[in-house]
Amino acid sequence: MFLVLVLLCAFFSVATFSEQSPTGEAAAKQLASVIEQQFGSTPRVLIVAREQPGDSEFASSLEQKLVTSGAKVHAVVKGEPRDAREALVKISSSGEQLDVIACTPAAAAWLVFSDLKNDFPMLDNPQIVKPQSYRWPNFLKAANVLNIANQIAVIAIIAIGMTMVIITGGIDLSVGSLIALSAVLAGLFIRDYAGATNASAIGMTSACVAAILICGLIGAFSGAMITLFRIPPFIVTLAMMLVGSGLAYLLAKGESIYQIPDSFVWLGRGASFVNLPNAVVLMLVLYGAAQVLMSRMKLGRYIYAVGGNREAARLSGVPVRSVLMFAYIASALLAGLGGVIMASQLKSGSATYGNMYELYVIAAVVVGGTSLSGGEGEMCGTLIGALTIAVIQNGMNLTNVESYTQKVVLGLVILGAVLLDKIRHGE
Amino acid sequence: MRQSLFAIFACLVGCLLGCAKPEEKKGVDTPEKQTGPKQTIGVSLLTLDNPFFKVIGDNITAEGLKHGYDTIVVSGDKDVAKQSNQIKDFIVKKVSAIVLSPCDSKSIIPVIQEANAAGIPVFTVDIPCNEPGVKIATQIATDNYGGGKEAGQAMIEALGEAGGKVAVLHFKQAESCLLRVKGFTEVIDAHNASSTAKIEVVAELESSGAKDMGYKAAEDSLQAHPDLRGIFAINDPAALGARAALEKANKTQQVQIIGFDGQPEGKQAIKEGKIYADPIQFPDKMGIQIVDAIIRHSKGEELPAQMLIPTSLYRKADAEADPELK
Repeated sequence: MFLVLVLLCAFFSVATFSEQSPTGEAAAKQLASVIEQQFGSTPRVLIVAREQPGDSEFASSLEQKLVTSGAKVHAVVKGEPRDAREALVKISSSGEQLDVIACTPAAAAWLVFSDLKNDFPMLDNPQIVKPQSYRWPNFLKAANVLNIANQIAVIAIIAIGMTMVIITGGIDLSVGSLIALSAVLAGLFIRDYAGATNASAIGMTSACVAAILICGLIGAFSGAMITLFRIPPFIVTLAMMLVGSGLAYLLAKGESIYQIPDSFVWLGRGASFVNLPNAVVLMLVLYGAAQVLMSRMKLGRYIYAVGGNREAARLSGVPVRSVLMFAYIASALLAGLGGVIMASQLKSGSATYGNMYELYVIAAVVVGGTSLSGGEGEMCGTLIGALTIAVIQNGMNLTNVESYTQKVVLGLVILGAVLLDKIRHGE
Repeated sequence: MRQSLFAIFACLVGCLLGCAKPEEKKGVDTPEKQTGPKQTIGVSLLTLDNPFFKVIGDNITAEGLKHGYDTIVVSGDKDVAKQSNQIKDFIVKKVSAIVLSPCDSKSIIPVIQEANAAGIPVFTVDIPCNEPGVKIATQIATDNYGGGKEAGQAMIEALGEAGGKVAVLHFKQAESCLLRVKGFTEVIDAHNASSTAKIEVVAELESSGAKDMGYKAAEDSLQAHPDLRGIFAINDPAALGARAALEKANKTQQVQIIGFDGQPEGKQAIKEGKIYADPIQFPDKMGIQIVDAIIRHSKGEELPAQMLIPTSLYRKADAEADPELK
């Protein structure tokens, strides 16, 4: 399965190989020397960049270098095309002239510079220069790799619980609805009990924990129905899917709940540990824990045993009911956590979240090599499965595949990935 | 055997992914842009199931191509989490402009802020995002208030000398529909002040802008007001639902319907006389206007906070002259 992921990554790296626009310190240095070579040491310069960290650093650093080398920097524009036009008008109306306009690659493409000769004849036809571009796949940029991990974090975290449930031979269709329910509950608690936009960290944490625990209760209810009354998991969780979604809509009254402090986005969008998004760190920690649970602990062995042969497990003294209860509660708790992360990413809670997520989660588990008939499966496999789906979705967005085709391709690739795995294992 | 299956699979994946269109292949380079990377517009619309948005997307693509832009159009499928991911991918891809119709005006804020921080201008179409803390280059939408006024005019015209009782099939969650009904009632009130043929709005019922709910609401208002003379529905599906109720109650002669939108199904109904008239929207013009706004923004021109596209009243005569209808 890992092979499929690697193949996909390789494919998208090639497909998104494109020109990159450098900004920042290095680009400024390179451009400063180009300007000096082409226009001598005392050119009249206008520097234009967007208002954005990389661009801004480029502009300041270039200005400093040019000024030290003796150039006359008329103005530094950090903003939008409109600001550039204003600067040009100002320079032009004060009777000054320009030799060169130094731009970031993005700013160089602005149409405000497309017809300088006619628009600003007084400027003495300045040249547009920009840092030299290089070629590198969009897909492999560090920002995009983190982007992929962050986008899949919610699905991957829920897939941990789903893997356990599927290994026991069951299924949990309620996770998508629990995402919505948990996001709405967390939003409601923060708005109504923790002080809305002034909520403290403790208030927000308790609100989230409460939301997750309520999801856990729903999981316990499903588990009880399945173990005590022997109703098939498909039916129980299908019912809970409707109940959860309906409750979320009822509680949110069909609107999104957004009266939440800005600091709430820490979990979903913050990055406090070596630039890794917090949601990704949380995902990795949970996978580590789940891997240990499944491969090194008694409970993990029991989960496999129940899925492999329930009767044999019961006869050999495995507490089948408790194991099943554990799996459904864990799945619901993790779905609740996923809902909280999503609420944090979007800084609001809404009943529309998580729609169809159960299918993506199940797809991640199955692509990861877990057998739907139970008794077989690995946590690492599920993580790889989730990443595979994320890579396909992200890669198709980066290569301009339109939405309908994306669905077709995703479906076929999921099928193909499982098929390939079967073939490689000689079945 | 195993090898051959593997090869077939590899080919299959290759073919499928071959659907991916590398950006270099599309569009024509204008001379001044050949030096830099291709300019791309990223578009994420509410949904592509609705022909209205499909037309907007298609027109942005076509108009963009004329001006040397590549366009990526994706559907948010009314799922704001999905739409957020699409916008994040646009930011990574460093598109030169982002166009979106937010799936949720509140939940989309963080990701618009991310685009703002990356220095990429954001344009909204149809659905606004007038929230504090986000920077929108401009909002392009139908002039719903003006359209509502036109609907009011059409109702006066349809009822003629007699006037009578009118019901409104509303969809109150949508800002756009509130504006439509506001324009409508203002025109009706102005008419009542100056004319003897009074028109009385007797009911404002929720239709969710859908056929089934429009049907129910119209049925209920016919029960409450058997002498009803007119129905203003805030969109075509609600109007068509109301029409079904009229047919069932055998009151098609007595009650006139005014719709809104001008979707193909609605236009066809106007042609057949099932709906009296529609103020129609122009998604094609909206698409073209967006590309124009992107170019003007890039040229450094000042853009108004909102650009409204007027509707136009579409009656039976227009439908009969419409080449798009069979």
